[in-house]
Parts: sequence; C-alpha cells; structure tokens
Amino acid sequence: MVRLSRVFLLVVSLGSLASVGLAQDVNEDNEKAMKAAMAKASPWIAKIETAGGAGAVGTGGGAAPIRKGVGPTTGLVISPDGYIISSAFNFANKPTDIFVTVPGKPRLVAKIIASDTSRMLTLLKVDLKDLSMPVSFPSQEIKVGMWSLALGRALDNEDGKTPSVSRGIVSATERIWGKCIQTDCKVSPINYGGPLVAIDGRVMGVLVPASPRGEGEAAGVEWYDGGIGFAVPLEDVLAILPRLKEGKDLRRGMLGFNPKTPDEMYNVPVVVGTVAPQSVAEKIGMKPNDKITSLNGKPVENFKDLMTLLGPKYEGDKITLTVERAGKIETFKDVALGGTSATLSQPFFGILPMRDDPEPGVEVRYVYAKSPAALAGIKEGDRIMKFGPAVGGQPLVPITTGRTQLSQIVRSAPLDFDFKVELKRKEGGKTETVTLKLAALSEELPEKAPPKSSVEMALGKVKKENDKELKVGFTDGLSNKTSGRKYWMYLPDNYDKNKSYGVMIWLHDVGKGGKDGKDMFKIWERYCDSANFILIGPQAKNGIDWVATETEELVQTLNQAIAGFTIDRSRVVVHGMGNGGSMSMYLAFNARDLIRAAVVSGAVLNGNAKDNLPNQPLSLFVVAGDKDPLIKEIKETNEKLKAKKFPVIYRELKDFGKEYLDQTTLEEICNWLDALDRI
Amino acid sequence: MFRLVFTGVIALLAAAMPVSAAEPVSTVAAQVNEKMVKIFGSGGFRGVTNYTTGILVSSEGHILTVASQTLETSELVIHLFDGRKMKATVVVTEPELDIALLKIKVEGKKPEEPTGLNLAYFDFDESAKRPIAAAGDWVFGFSNQFEIAMRNEPMSVMQGMITSYSKLHGRRGIFDFPYTGEVYVVDAITNNPGAGGGALTNRKGQLLGIIGREIKNSLSETWINYAIPLNAKVDLRDGDKTVTVTMPEFVAKAMKGQYKPVVKPIVALTAGGFHGIRFVPNILERTPPYIDELYPNSPAAKAGVQINDLVSFIDGEPIYSIKAFTDVLRKTRPGMTVRLEVRRGDNLQSIEIKLDEWPKGLLPVIPVPRGGEFPKPGDK
Repeated sequence: MVRLSRVFLLVVSLGSLASVGLAQDVNEDNEKAMKAAMAKASPWIAKIETAGGAGAVGTGGGAAPIRKGVGPTTGLVISPDGYIISSAFNFANKPTDIFVTVPGKPRLVAKIIASDTSRMLTLLKVDLKDLSMPVSFPSQEIKVGMWSLALGRALDNEDGKTPSVSRGIVSATERIWGKCIQTDCKVSPINYGGPLVAIDGRVMGVLVPASPRGEGEAAGVEWYDGGIGFAVPLEDVLAILPRLKEGKDLRRGMLGFNPKTPDEMYNVPVVVGTVAPQSVAEKIGMKPNDKITSLNGKPVENFKDLMTLLGPKYEGDKITLTVERAGKIETFKDVALGGTSATLSQPFFGILPMRDDPEPGVEVRYVYAKSPAALAGIKEGDRIMKFGPAVGGQPLVPITTGRTQLSQIVRSAPLDFDFKVELKRKEGGKTETVTLKLAALSEELPEKAPPKSSVEMALGKVKKENDKELKVGFTDGLSNKTSGRKYWMYLPDNYDKNKSYGVMIWLHDVGKGGKDGKDMFKIWERYCDSANFILIGPQAKNGIDWVATETEELVQTLNQAIAGFTIDRSRVVVHGMGNGGSMSMYLAFNARDLIRAAVVSGAVLNGNAKDNLPNQPLSLFVVAGDKDPLIKEIKETNEKLKAKKFPVIYRELKDFGKEYLDQTTLEEICNWLDALDRI
Repeated sequence: MFRLVFTGVIALLAAAMPVSAAEPVSTVAAQVNEKMVKIFGSGGFRGVTNYTTGILVSSEGHILTVASQTLETSELVIHLFDGRKMKATVVVTEPELDIALLKIKVEGKKPEEPTGLNLAYFDFDESAKRPIAAAGDWVFGFSNQFEIAMRNEPMSVMQGMITSYSKLHGRRGIFDFPYTGEVYVVDAITNNPGAGGGALTNRKGQLLGIIGREIKNSLSETWINYAIPLNAKVDLRDGDKTVTVTMPEFVAKAMKGQYKPVVKPIVALTAGGFHGIRFVPNILERTPPYIDELYPNSPAAKAGVQINDLVSFIDGEPIYSIKAFTDVLRKTRPGMTVRLEVRRGDNLQSIEIKLDEWPKGLLPVIPVPRGGEFPKPGDK
C-alpha cells in the first residue's frame, strides 16, 4: 500500500514536469499576457470613418488597382493634443470627409495635417486634449522572434472597446530600405494604421502596407494577410512628428543621379552614370564615373547598401558622402538631400519643326514669340544645321536625323543652358551662327502655326504609292485580334503614307462605349484631315466604364491599330471625358514611352501625378466646366499636375457642367495638338 | 516489476482524464477529429468544390455543415474519421444562418429508425451554453481544406487567435452574403476550399463555431476568415415585426425533424419614409451625400437640417455615399424616426427626423429613388 502511493506520487510529479504540460501552461500565460496587452493599447487605438472618395486605388508601379473598402479603418493616438497617425492607404481614395473616434470620446471631424510619402503615413488632427499616449517599445530592443500583436479598429468587437487582434512574431527588422519592422501577424486593411504591439502592450510601430518595389499608398497591399506585414517603428514616427505637425508633407530624400548599372543591386559598386539636371548631385559636383564608397561613415559596396542607408532619409536631411574619383577620395559634407520628385521644367528652344524631312538639318516651321529662338533671331523657314554648347569650344554637332535629334539634345540639356546654333537662312541662303539660352517650356498656346507642317517624305526621298487596299474613312466594329477588344477608327480620307500622322485615342465617358464613335468622328474629321491625325475609339471592356487594369490591353489595341501606318511618335495623344478622362491620365502616366499628351474634359486625377521625366515628355490639356460638381477636384487635378511641372493648359468653361467642349476650346486644343512636337 | 506498475498507472491516467488545459494538442486534435466528417457532393463548377467538411452533433449521425451548393445532390457521401464510407441526406437547411443539418443513412434502415451508430459527437446545446469566446482567445480550426485528408486521415488542424467577434458584412462575388449576424473572425487562414462546415474550437477542443465559406468582407474588400458561432442569431425585420432565427433552435428542431426554414418576409422595395432632402447630383460611385436642396416644410427642413450639410451617419451607421443613404432610407417607413448626424463646418450635429408620408405627386416613379431624388418644387 505504502509502495503504491509512493509510486503514484512519483508519477504525478513526473507528469507535471513533462514538457507538454509545461508548454500548455506557457500558452495560457501568453494568452493572458496578450489580452492584457490588448487592453493596455486599446485607449490609443482610434477608429476612422470616411465619406466620399474613389472606389478603386492604384497600387503604384504600374500594378493593377485594387478596390478600396468603405468600412472603417484604424489610427493611433500620437500626441495628447488630438493628433492621430494612420496609414496613408486609408486615405488613398481621397475621401471628402474623415471622422475619428478615440475610445471613450465622441466621434469628431478630422483633418489631414500632412502626409509622409516615404513611410506612407498620414497625420490627422481632431479637437481633443489630454489623450493617453502610447508607450513606445525601444526600436533597439526589437528582436526577431518576439511576440507581436497587430491591433485594429476596422472590426467592431461587441464590447466596443477591445481592438481586433492578430498574433505573430517579429519576422525581421530594418526592412523596406531600413524603414519597417516585418511581422507574420495578419496585416491588412483591417488594421493598417493600427499599432503593432509587444506582448507587454508597448507599441513597436504603426502598421502599413509596404513594398520595396512600389511607392504608392497601396503598394504592398497585395501581400495582405500573407504572413508578411510591416510596421513603421513608433520611434521613427515620433521623430518626424514635429515636422508633420507643421503641415509639411515629407518626401524621401534623393541625391539625383542614375547609377551606371541600374539593374545591378548587389554585385558591382555604385558608379554614377548620369547626374540629373538641377539635382542635389549636380549642385554638389558629383560627376559621371564617380564611385560611391560611403554614406555617413558606413561603407557602400553596392546599390542595395546605398538604398538601405538612403531609404530612411527625408528631403532636407543631411548626409556625408564619399566618392572615389580618379583614384582619389572626395568627401561631400552636410549634403542636404533633395525631394523625390524631379520638379523639372522641360527645356524649351522655341520652334515647331517641319515634319517628314529626310534632308540634313531641321527646317523651322514656326517660331514661338519671345522664345529663345525668337530672341536669337531665328525665323520661319530657316534651317538649323548644327548644334552645340556655346562655351567650351567644342565643335558643333551636325543634325543628321532631323527633329528627333534636335529634340533629344534640347530635352536632355539643363535649363538656362547656352547653345550655339548654325543656321542656313531662308532669306539669302547664308549660313550664320547664333547663340541662345534655353528657357523653361512656355505653356502659352501658339497662334495658329502655318498649315504646311510636312514635306511629305517620311519614307525617304522617293515618293511611294499608297496601298490601294487601305480602308480610309470611319470604320466601326473593329476588334483586336488577341484581346477581342472593340474599337472604331477614323483614317483621314487623304491618308498619305509619306506623311507622319498623330494618333488620338478617345476614351469614352461612362456608358458611351461603342455609341459615340460617329459623333466624335464628325467633330474631329476636319481637324484630322488637315493636321494629319488618326482617331481611334476603343471600348471599355465592360462596355460601361474604364478600370485601370485595362491599360496593357489598350496599349496593345493601340499598337495593333496603328501598325502599318506612318506614325509621328511625338503626337500620340489620349483624349477622354469624365471616367474616360481619368483613365486617359492613368494611361498616359503608365504608358509613358508611348503617350505624349492627354486632353481631358471633366476628369479627375485619382491619386498623385507621377514625376515629370525629361526623356518621356507629357503635356496635358485640362478642361473643366464651372458648374461641374467635380470642379473642386478638377482644379486640384490641375494643381497636382502643375506641382510636378508638367506643361498643363487649364480651361474653365463658364456655365458648363458636364458638356464636352465649346468651339473656342476645341480650336485651342487643335492648335495645341499641332504643336506637340515643339522643341 | 516497478517499471510495469509505472506504465500501468500512466495508461490508466490518460484514459480517465477528461480533456483539460494540460492536454497535449495531439490528444485534443484526435478527440475533435472523431467528431468530424468529410462530405462529398456535387460541385466542380464556378468555384464550388465537390467536397466540404461537417461536424457530428448526435451519436445517431446528425451532421452540421454550411449550406453550400456542394449539398445540392441526392447522392451525398461522407467519410467518418475511421474511414467508414456512408451515405447521407440533407434534413433541412437555413439559408439565413448559412447552415444545413445532414443525417447519415444506414443501409437497410428507414430514415426514422435509429441508426445505432453510436458515434462520438459535439453536444451542441452544452457547447452553445458556454460563454462567447473573445478577441485574443487562442483557437484551433479543423477542416478538410483542399481535400488533403483522405478517408481515415485526420482533419488539418490550424492554430490562430480570435481577431474579433463582430457582425459579418460579407459578399460572394457581387452578391451580398445572406448571413449578417455575429461571427468569430480569426487570424488563421481557415476559410479555404472545402473548409466550410469545419470546427472552430478553443484550446481544449470545445466547439465554438462552424467554419464558414470563402467570402470577402465588403467593408474592407479583403478575404475574411470566419466561423459562425453556435449561438448565431439573425433578426429579420418586416416593418415593425421581427422574426428571429437562432442556431440552437435550428439544431434542436432540425434533429427532431421539426424545423421549418424561415420564410423571409418580403420587403417591398419602396422609397421609404419621406425626408425631404435632395442631394447634389449622384454622379460618382461614392458621391458624398451633401444636401443641395430641402423641400419646404419637409421633415428634414423642420428638424433643422440645412443646405450644404453632409449626412454622415444614420442611427450610428456610416453613410459614405448618396447610394448608402438611399439604401438605408429604403428600409424605413413613414412615421419612423431616424437620427441623422450631419457634418456642418467642422462639427457633427445630431438631428432626429420623423419621416413622413410622401406628398402626393412627389413620390418617385421608380420605387428606389436614385440619390433620394424627387422632382423639384414646381416640376411637373
């Protein structure tokens, strides 16, 4: 009996020591600790509700847009006096109204104070005081493998207090170019903007979608709930808070050069290829072939190193950089970084060139009043033969490939650059040399340029016969061979393949797909004939409205439609109204290599304009009706484009609502379209 | 000798002890698995799988699962945990709860005769009496997702946490999901093909809910992983009448063969009560509901609503577009009172409006007014 009880005791004590039993107890303790952490963080987590805004948002980087939900999202109290930080994703659809509820407080109207376009955060303000502040978890102590909880307010718990929760661990630190903590918690629109907390309830960071390859508000959303979530360390957020509170948007810091081998991240040192005009790199005197060796004292062995060191920096932050030049180390101290966007105006020479001219040089078709060309005394009919810098004594370069060559030289030059030009005068046939200083592209419209725009030798000096089988005029009911997309087309009756033609793609308004071809053709027929334009009207896939995912197919349709015609690449235009206009801008921004201009009526630009790139020029003509309910948004569209230094012409039509255009504006647009190959 | 005694005691202990916190996961999983079945029916088209999961709720072989299209066949086959293959029939379904009760058919026995199967099962009533699990509770999901378990192979077990216990706003494709009651949202990716009808349990293997389908949360536009709780409840409103459907009632009555699916009250599409607000033209997908005009002496005008106010919430529900306003108002009747929160400047004002009968000649021709529109005063 005694023996048996002894045995029993032994077994019991052994059993409680067994690892399985112990693990379960640990689980129970962890579960309790996590619930305590949720309760601790709860007062800091605000619910955000919005009204209005777009239905779909772009994910940046040319990826397909996604639908933005209408439900609530999350924010984190960041300052006792009513400041709430949230993920920029929650406002990517540009809602018109934002309401914030901090636990225990009434729902209040909130204002966006500023956004951080590097870490994709948005700062909101509500009229509240004495809020409880989140306790920060020191970034230095965040280690891989620690428990983490992703908390949000998008899903209401019954008690109205407990946040939604997903459990995980810290998967990595210093991700996304050193900007984010990575976690395997389920991170999604359910908790973007909420905190990632440690098991003790202290806040590690603010949950955001993020991707090393995309920069938009929605970049990285495609990974939602995928076990790869991100949070911006709270310490970093607190560090930028004073700047955000001032209402200043923060942008990523940039130097402004392109590496010689842009596709090679790891295996080669960073060697400067080109230095962007007016960039910080240019100002401090960085030169092509400089090899970057360190940044802020940390070695830079490849492009990835440089991106990781530069990624967390903002515009205006100061860095110290060393480069190796001709075997010597050069040091650039206290360099203030530039902003993300190359706010570069396009350099302008001031002429329209004659088209389809195989002879050497470029014949001047038209001279813009007060332009650099006009000031230098260049006249219509003169022929520009050679071109080069005014200083430095380099020999002038002969123009052998026509207007494309001249245009490229001008576009890649810095503003205010002094050029020397050799001309063959129309009057007298003498050869003269003039000098001129490039100016920023004028947004003025030319008066009507002389109607003769082409010497009609696009295919060379020998005139060739046109195909007899070519179907000219208006053709409806065409479709793309591979995608089956429907479109109509107008090929001018007087089509001549020795003239190069502009292309105008018309993107219809909501519900007009396949119905407005004839009307458009009637409006544009005469202009197409006189100014050499081909008109194409593709139809939205659903027959009603456009979604951004149609971009690739549209480009395909366009390429197929124009294959076999003589096309002037400098006059490929997309034109649209309403939803078709918004799509026009989207298409223009995402097919930059193809599209040179967009003409939009009653259209709103969703999200931000992309950067203006000198090598892929894009001009815009924006028309609004002052009675259009969207007038405010269209005005903003204009401002967004201007902020990026795109050449934009904006026309507000009096007593116009959602009508197409008036005659005056139509004529202006025609003149503008004819001048797209301006140099 | 000593050794022998020792092993004997251990074996005794393991057999006698109930499932407890100290139980290893493998034991919990094995016990839950005995109460689960793999279901095979029709499918293979339009994203509907021909397999799904179910849980046993009686020793006689009653099975609870989601009311999916997989069940729409006369030849349902189930596999028990031990690999036995049997036929089953649908006793009754309740679309409002998205739930179905099945019963195993035993060869040679009539449906009303006892099957004599004596299976392990979840005691539904007892389980439903347990308190609701809360956000942060650790849970397990059991299902035959992706048909990965064959015949007698056990269900796949997943671990996760309850994300929230909240109302489901689901959609399947473009259609709103019928069940709109509370669900357990979980942070494990439980709702995979074939997982519908699986078990959500706590760490002790006690049943919490029935894993639902693959649907999207219509508020966040993201896939949602959820389970319908055992005490699921839906109120179907028909004007002032309310019909309540609950899961425990469904299970209790259905097992006795007495459950009649609720006839959903037909809510006539009407314009709802008259408020007297006319919004700005509804031209966008989400036009914010700014007030453009007020009909003179209308309920809204009398209550103090003003032109340029933005209707932001109705009875606490966010109104993010004119369409959302119309959808909510459609469910009202003249005589009802709604509480509007309007944004005026930088403040939210709370205003109660007693809806009226539509004035003669103003009632929109179409039953559902687009943007709450009505003819302008003076219009014919």
